[in-house]
This record gives sequence, C-alpha cells and structure tokens, in this order.
Amino acid sequence: MGTVVTFDIYDDGGISPDELLPHLARAVAVLHRADKVLSTWKPDSPMSRLRRGEITLGESPLEVTKVLESCKVAKARSGGWFDPWAMPGGVDPTGYVKGWAAQEALEELVGAEVDGAMVNAAGDIASFGGPTSNDPFRVGIIDPASPTSLACAVELRGALATSGAYERGEHLVNPFTGQHVTRFASASVTGPDLGLSDALATALVVGGDEVMTLVEEIYDYEALAIGHDGEMKWTTLFPFAPGSVPCQ
Amino acid sequence: MRRSPIVIAGTLAGVVGVLSFHTAPAKLTLGTIGTTSSPVSTTSSPPSTTSSPPSTTSPPTTTPSPTTTKAPSRHSTTTTGATTTTTTRTTTTTVAPTTATTAPATTARSATGPVVNYNFGVLSVTVTVAGTKITKVAIGTLNDGGNFRSQSIDQQAIPQLEQQAMTAQSASIQGVSGASYTSAGFKLSLQDALTSLGFK
Repeated sequence: MGTVVTFDIYDDGGISPDELLPHLARAVAVLHRADKVLSTWKPDSPMSRLRRGEITLGESPLEVTKVLESCKVAKARSGGWFDPWAMPGGVDPTGYVKGWAAQEALEELVGAEVDGAMVNAAGDIASFGGPTSNDPFRVGIIDPASPTSLACAVELRGALATSGAYERGEHLVNPFTGQHVTRFASASVTGPDLGLSDALATALVVGGDEVMTLVEEIYDYEALAIGHDGEMKWTTLFPFAPGSVPCQ
Repeated sequence: MRRSPIVIAGTLAGVVGVLSFHTAPAKLTLGTIGTTSSPVSTTSSPPSTTSSPPSTTSPPTTTPSPTTTKAPSRHSTTTTGATTTTTTRTTTTTVAPTTATTAPATTARSATGPVVNYNFGVLSVTVTVAGTKITKVAIGTLNDGGNFRSQSIDQQAIPQLEQQAMTAQSASIQGVSGASYTSAGFKLSLQDALTSLGFK
C-alpha cells in the first residue's frame, strides 16, 4: 500500500541542493527499505512471511526485530491500548511502522546540517530544528469534524502524530474487545520519537481518558484529544502555538 | 527572505516521496532519488501563465536576505514551485515557481506551473490567487500513463497536496498533521469538500 511522504527542508543557504541530495537519497532509501521489509500489504515481505509462520523471528531481517521490540515498549507505555499482537490475522505492526520509518528517514537528514527538516508521512511528522535557526516549526492539526480545516496549531519540537476515527483504519481496534469503537474523534501526540507518538495517538483514540492519564505521566510526551462532540482535552504541557490555545 | 521551495515527487515501490527544499538557490536534481526506470518522454515546458492580467509569474529570483519573517504566501509555492526534468537518468530540475504576490487584491488570477515529470507520470499545477491569498490549487494536467498503481497513488497524493497548500497558507504554519490521508474515509471526505468548493 502506498503512502505519501513529504520532505521539507529549511536552510538559510549554507548548503546547496546538490550537497543535500545524497542525504535525501538515503532518507528515501530508508522508506523504501521499510516498505519492502515491513509491509503487510506485500505478501512476500519478510513481515508477511513471519505472520504466516514461513520464517521465524530469528530468520527475519534486523528491522523486523527492532520494530517488534519497539512495539512491545509502546504496548507497555500505552497500558496495552496499542497492541499489534491483538490485530486480526496475527501480529501487525503497521500502525507503528510508518512513524518509525519516517523517524529513521529523518535521522539521515541530521548530518546535512540544515536549519530544520520535517518528514511528513501522510500526516505523521518527524522533525528537527525549525524554519529558521531560531524558530520552531508550527504545524496545524486537522479538525476531525472538518478535515479541510485546522483545530489548532502546535509548536513542534520533535514528532507529532495524529490518529483519528475519521480514518477508520483497521488499526483502530480495541485490543481488549476486538471492537472498532473509538472514544475520541482524533488524538495527537507530540514527543521526541514519532513511532511512540503514533502508537500513543492510536491508543488514545481507542482507549480514551484512561490513556490520557498515562500519557500525562510519560516524560516529554504530550497529547491533545478531540472528542466526537468536538470537546478538546490535552495534557498539561501540550505545546499549543501562541495564539492557538483553545478556549476553555 | 522568501524561500523558494521545490516540489519533486520521487516514487518507487509504492512510496511517494515529495521533496520540497526551502532555500534560496532553486536547483535540485532528482535522478539519484528516482528509480531505475526513467520515463521516456519529458517535455519540460516553460511556465505558462494562463490568465488574466496582471500576469504575476515571478521568476525564481529569490535572493537570500537576512530577514527571518515568514512570507505568508510561501506555502503556496509548495505545490506551485514546479520542476521539470529531462530524460536522462541524472536529471536536472529547474524551478520556476509560479507565485503571485504583487498584484492588486481584487483580481483573481490563475496560473499554471510547468509540467513536472515525476516517476509515475507527468503533472502540472494550477493555482488561483486573489491578492496574496490562494483561492484554489488544482492539478492542471495529469498523465500517469494509466498505470493502476500510479493512479491509486495519485488519487491519494494529489488531493492531499492541494489540501496542504490550502490549509497551510491560512495559518502561517509549515505542515499539517492528521489521520492518514491514504484512508478511504479521509479521501472521500476531502474530495467531497473540495468538490463542494469547486475544486476538481
């Protein structure tokens, strides 16, 4: 299954596009490699073969082990509300892979020494720096009730992932009941790592307030949830962009 | 300082990479990122401005200046800053951002960027501007060769790019976070919204 990844790179001119290209090429290669190895849409990918029991974890490429280990951590952090092992059809880390791959791709751009870079994987963003050497990125969060407008803007320092009921993805499954019931219309999580942010955002949508309490306790991760009725809830330090804090 | 972004789509095995490079020098090569199969045809047509006066196509003459204010229209160029590629593997891409920032606010104008070759096809972008505000972003030409995979990716990517350009410029932000654009629900919703707004 294809997806769209946008690279936005900002620099005041210290680097030429020609110098940048090798970094971009490596970043793009990371994405393609992740797709090739970890896609559950490709029947012959190592992840698909592992799911069918044709190969063992030991026979799988290193990325498979790494991602599943990270998924284990994310599952624990989310109180079990993010659980790739509860997916229909066997372990399915798809909900984690996109964010993970974007974060890995971003790492390839760090060496380029630009002012800032964003890797936006279909709405989940990994970043460092900002549009200038002094400013952080500002990123809008889509209003789930009206996906052509924004609910608010966030001052980004690191990653921002959004999951939503308007997505109706298969990964929005309550791992405890197997039902597709969502408690928030959308949830966004910001923090240093996009993989974990994405997992927590997914957990919030299916787990609701209980997960909000958990995220409040996780160092450096903040969350904003928008209810089906439009009500917004957020953790204490959620980094709303100045002028974008919703009315209470 | 107005930064002049470049949009390039590099595609391989179902992943679309759209690269925008926001800085003064407007030149970037795509060949190293692309795939092995280089499309045969590539016309690099000059930026054509299809619209009513005053014509506002500005050449890519961004000069680096020390100011750090964000130009509000910068994101408009994310999709309008178009690229042309040549047929060879090591392609050169030149940028001709078709931006409109200097005209009187009353006139609505539209402009079409040059045809861009990306690995799954050819496209060009049309943008309509009133004053300094984008009122419409659309794909003017799209030829993906009828390949099924190309089409399915286009269907996801194109409305998303249009959407991003529209949403981003209204809030002086650099990006948009939302539930995956690739989902059917979002696509339908977005397409409906765009259609109702007169988007194609």
